[in-house]
Amino acid sequence: MSTPFLSLRDLKVHFSTEDGVVKAVDGLSFDLEKGKTLGIVGESGSGKSVTNMAILGLHDPRNTTMDGEILLDGKELIHASESELEKLRGNKMSMIFQDALASLSPYHTIGAQIAETYRKHTGVSKKEARARAIEMLRRVGIPQPDIRVDDYPHQFSGGMRQRAMIAMALVCDPELLIADEPTTALDVTVQAQIMDLLKDLQQEFGTAIIFITHDLGVIADIADDVLVMYGGRCVERGTKKQVLSAPDHPYTLGLLNSMPSLDGAVDVPLSPIPGSPPSLLNPPSGCRFHPRCGFTEKVTGGLCSTERPALEVAEGRGSACHLTADQKRDLFADFAATRHN
Amino acid sequence: MSLSRRNFVIATSVAAAGSTLLSACSSGGGGGGNTPTDGATSYTGAKVTIGTKADSTGPAPEIPGAKKGGTIYGLSPQDFSHLDPQRIYYAYNSTAALLLHRCLTGYKTDSAGHQTLVGDLATDTGTASKDNKTWTFTLKEGLKWEDGSELTVEDVRHGIERLWAPFITESATYVQLALTGKGAKWRDAYEGPYKGKHLDSIVTDKAKRTITFHLAEPKPDFNFTLGMHSYAATSPKLDTKEKYDKLPAACGPYKIKAHTTDKSMVLIRNKNWDPATDSIRNAYPDSFEFTFGINILDSTDRFIADQGNDQYAVSIYKEVPAERIQKVLTDPQLKARSFNGLLTGLYYYAINTKRVTDLKVRQALNYAWPLQQIRQIYGGPTAGEIATSIMSPDLIGYEKYDLYGKNTKPQGDPEKSKALLKEAGKLGTKVVYAFPNDPTYMKTKVVIENALKAAGFTPVMKPVDQTTYYDQIQQINNSYDVMWFGWSPDWPTAFTVIQPLFDGAVIGNGLNNISQTNISWINEGIKKNAVIPDQKEAGKAWSALDKRIMQEVAPIIPETFQRRYYLHGSKVGGAQMDPQFASTLLYKTFVKA
Amino acid sequence: MLRFLIRRTLGAAVILLIISALVFVLFYAAPRDPARIACGKVCTPETLALVKKNLGIDHSLPVQYWDWLKGLFVGRDYTSFGHCDAPCLGYSFQNREPVLATIEDRFPTTLSLALGSSVVFLIFGVGTGMLAAVKQGKALDKIASSASLIASSMQIFVIGVLATYLFVDQLHLLDRANYTPFTEDPGKWFTGLLVPWLVLSLIFTANYTRMTRSQMVESLSEDFVRTARAKGLSRRTVFFRFAWRGAMGPIITIFGLDLGQLLGGAIITEYTFSLQGIGALSVKAVSTNDLPVLLGVVLVAAAAIVIFNIIVDAVYALVDPRVRLA
Repeated sequence: MSTPFLSLRDLKVHFSTEDGVVKAVDGLSFDLEKGKTLGIVGESGSGKSVTNMAILGLHDPRNTTMDGEILLDGKELIHASESELEKLRGNKMSMIFQDALASLSPYHTIGAQIAETYRKHTGVSKKEARARAIEMLRRVGIPQPDIRVDDYPHQFSGGMRQRAMIAMALVCDPELLIADEPTTALDVTVQAQIMDLLKDLQQEFGTAIIFITHDLGVIADIADDVLVMYGGRCVERGTKKQVLSAPDHPYTLGLLNSMPSLDGAVDVPLSPIPGSPPSLLNPPSGCRFHPRCGFTEKVTGGLCSTERPALEVAEGRGSACHLTADQKRDLFADFAATRHN
Repeated sequence: MSLSRRNFVIATSVAAAGSTLLSACSSGGGGGGNTPTDGATSYTGAKVTIGTKADSTGPAPEIPGAKKGGTIYGLSPQDFSHLDPQRIYYAYNSTAALLLHRCLTGYKTDSAGHQTLVGDLATDTGTASKDNKTWTFTLKEGLKWEDGSELTVEDVRHGIERLWAPFITESATYVQLALTGKGAKWRDAYEGPYKGKHLDSIVTDKAKRTITFHLAEPKPDFNFTLGMHSYAATSPKLDTKEKYDKLPAACGPYKIKAHTTDKSMVLIRNKNWDPATDSIRNAYPDSFEFTFGINILDSTDRFIADQGNDQYAVSIYKEVPAERIQKVLTDPQLKARSFNGLLTGLYYYAINTKRVTDLKVRQALNYAWPLQQIRQIYGGPTAGEIATSIMSPDLIGYEKYDLYGKNTKPQGDPEKSKALLKEAGKLGTKVVYAFPNDPTYMKTKVVIENALKAAGFTPVMKPVDQTTYYDQIQQINNSYDVMWFGWSPDWPTAFTVIQPLFDGAVIGNGLNNISQTNISWINEGIKKNAVIPDQKEAGKAWSALDKRIMQEVAPIIPETFQRRYYLHGSKVGGAQMDPQFASTLLYKTFVKA
Repeated sequence: MLRFLIRRTLGAAVILLIISALVFVLFYAAPRDPARIACGKVCTPETLALVKKNLGIDHSLPVQYWDWLKGLFVGRDYTSFGHCDAPCLGYSFQNREPVLATIEDRFPTTLSLALGSSVVFLIFGVGTGMLAAVKQGKALDKIASSASLIASSMQIFVIGVLATYLFVDQLHLLDRANYTPFTEDPGKWFTGLLVPWLVLSLIFTANYTRMTRSQMVESLSEDFVRTARAKGLSRRTVFFRFAWRGAMGPIITIFGLDLGQLLGGAIITEYTFSLQGIGALSVKAVSTNDLPVLLGVVLVAAAAIVIFNIIVDAVYALVDPRVRLA
């Protein structure tokens, strides 16, 4: 395996608050190749957005401690200077945010916001930047881009805003694109269009994409590899097929059971995971999922609440759970039966 | 000067309705005999005398060390409300009028504050007929207006005839009443000078420079009356009617160079004024520059700082406010730049005799009233003298008496009061006390309430909106038993105090006999005293009447004769209080070398 | 924009009309007689009637109001002063000066005071607020926040006197408060107003510091600010072009209202420094029952507030494209 384009090694992101230290990400590692899409799944507060903000270096250094390693194309980012990061952001790596209305400046035109990014990183004239903005808008499928370029975000529809956001993120042909739940606020048709758009663009430019979502359906659509996060840690990873059709962690299993069947089996009742996401200020001991896990009694010696299960990865596949492979095969069998014909 | 001087809002306006009462063209010696212990400049408190022809002949005696030239700056919270002499009645406006205008008579003031009535435009203080109904004055020679034209007897007559013009409503009315004898209907007797007709009752002889007044009733103090600025001369040729109020023609030592309403006024020398014609005014500075709109704390602090032009500045009429008085009295350098004097007026409490009908109750109130505590709230002994009579020390004929033991027990005598109430069978009598709701009187209210309770009364305290206070207590059917009040004489004879306050003929809404005293021997006494030809004799008679009123009627509780302190810049010489108008006597000031 | 202006101007005219009518009614509802002052110390009913006639207040209230309104639009004839051109605000009861000329004379003082202190408190208030927002939670932020709290609890008449004593009388650093028209001597205009500007702005500065800080803090946490950073824009650019842009709206709104109010006269400041502006004029008008002046001053003050409301709305629309004028 060649050197991966993006590589995270034991990333820790801790926030100091008045109440104590919040361990939002607590030892996360993964690699991502160019042209590939990594889906990161997890509930709110699982650390998926924090991770990606950390890659871009957007956390407020006054209350954030970061540890570990982030290597982008061989360059270490955690200790990079602000000005170095500024050169990378929006250029080599860029990000699409969830709520395009809130994330686009209401005070500037769409065109200006796109052109601004382009000028910042290429130093071209305003005129060229504007032309580029129009071209980008056309590429993401905005009709009459030469006119709409002067509109403000509030004059766009929801889907068009998200397209504009993508245009802005891609204006400098980034090699890494982080999409943070880019389709959550959109209706299904538009969602599909956006996904198609991303796929097309990826094919065209060979971009590496990190796709953050809590929606496994979206993952199924776009991802090559999947990483499941819980309580600031990775609990399972593998290829899309591995994770979705043969989950290896009770949490992943829970996630799959709590959503409608991927292939439309409507007769299966949905069963949400009981309890609520863990506090990152005072995370549960041992396995962070254990208070909500239905299989803790199967593990001998009460290990689940005392010892952190190791994430053992082989060939990109692995999970962090005290259950043995045999136990899982038996316990997870139901799932396979209901989900896969 | 304003009655409610401690009131922030009212104090910013000379002419607020309320402050119209006390004050005016009064005169008198610099103050009472008793100077406060802590360091007031000594004033011996001489009464006004009537001067001779020699006293009336100019120029005014030189002030030692004074020299001509320079500019004196004047600071004041407000502009003069009127400059047309016929519209001047307020003391404050007279401060300016003294520099610009001249009357037949005027007051010559010496460095100790003693005043003498002398001829100003006239050669002397006038000649009265035996019955005091005809007064004749002769004009001095060499009198001129600022444009160089001669000032004649016709100008003096025109000044009086203008009082009938419909736009002149602010003047004093003594002369109009005396000339027509028609009382309040005096306006009906004459249509004013603008249609070519003259008053029949004034006869002028231009060649002899004489002017003769034929009065409808005897007025032995008519020469005092004519010293009021309402009766100053105005030339028919220079009369611009309504506009005259903004830019009157001067015959005094200064004329108006520039005037921006409410902001500033510059007076420069009137070259056509001949000092030889004027025994009153020195006029050393080449010019006066007045700045208006300076609040009294600000101006006082400027005098204290004594910088730049403020070294040449005087306060036109505003006294040192209570907040700074201790600083001024305790700092020898500041005290050296201060002067002070008593006001000519009396502050008192009127008892509504229609409601409080029992003499014993009124006397008990006099015994009970806590004058010392009240004066303490005003600022202690520096704030003035305790009053025990109606007449103030400045009035001709003033004699000190103390019927209710206020000098021995200034804090009040509750035992005496209770005994009197018991005698009358009125112990626990309800007394409604009305006062303006400004901070000072809210404080004095407390000591009054306590004293009344201790003295066997049931007090009811009624604060009244300070802006309408006078209008409300001047309603004859009001529901107050005792009312805070004040009065200042228009000239230094007791007629100008006792007549408006105790004559039964002047009871009515908007009039000043608010004790509603209507007793035949008082009414007759006023008539009789008013026509006593010799002012010294008259003074004695007034003083006797004063004492009898307080003994047999007790319609008021006299409170204080108040004292004012003034500051000036270090380069100002000759600054002294004008006892007549409670201000700085501007025409005596000079710029120190 | 034009439609907005026309609509709002008409609305403003109606408001001013209602205010003037209210002042008229309230004025005569008070138990004092404006004729009493000019009636002098000897006020007989005859003289009082004459004064009322002279002042033009011998008619019924509606007639008086109508005369006043007519004067405003077509001018008015006075027996004693002749014709008064429209817009005629009448003559002062107190000193018989034309009200319009008096206001024209006083307004520059108030305008200078308002504009000068605005410049000071905008620079210092907004500047400190921004600094505090940048240095959130640090010593500088805490100092600025507590200083502004102390400043806002100060009384102008206390610090005014203190500042004059200290900087003028003792240290001789600054000039004593004094108004010289700008057109006459810009230097004197500046030095004479510096102390009042500083004192008046102190209280406003505190408000603007707190407001700017909280607006900036709020704005800095907006999503679009994060996006701007994610685009690779520098902190500086993000701070000024994005966060500040978002914080500006509310500040402009408050500033417009403050300025409108200041143009109606800063009564206490004018009194403390003995400046003859609209505020001092209004105090005098109230204490002397001077209805024409009072009406004039109230109209100016109300107009200033109404006009600045319109300006604020228009400027807000320029700042925030989401707001459309209608």
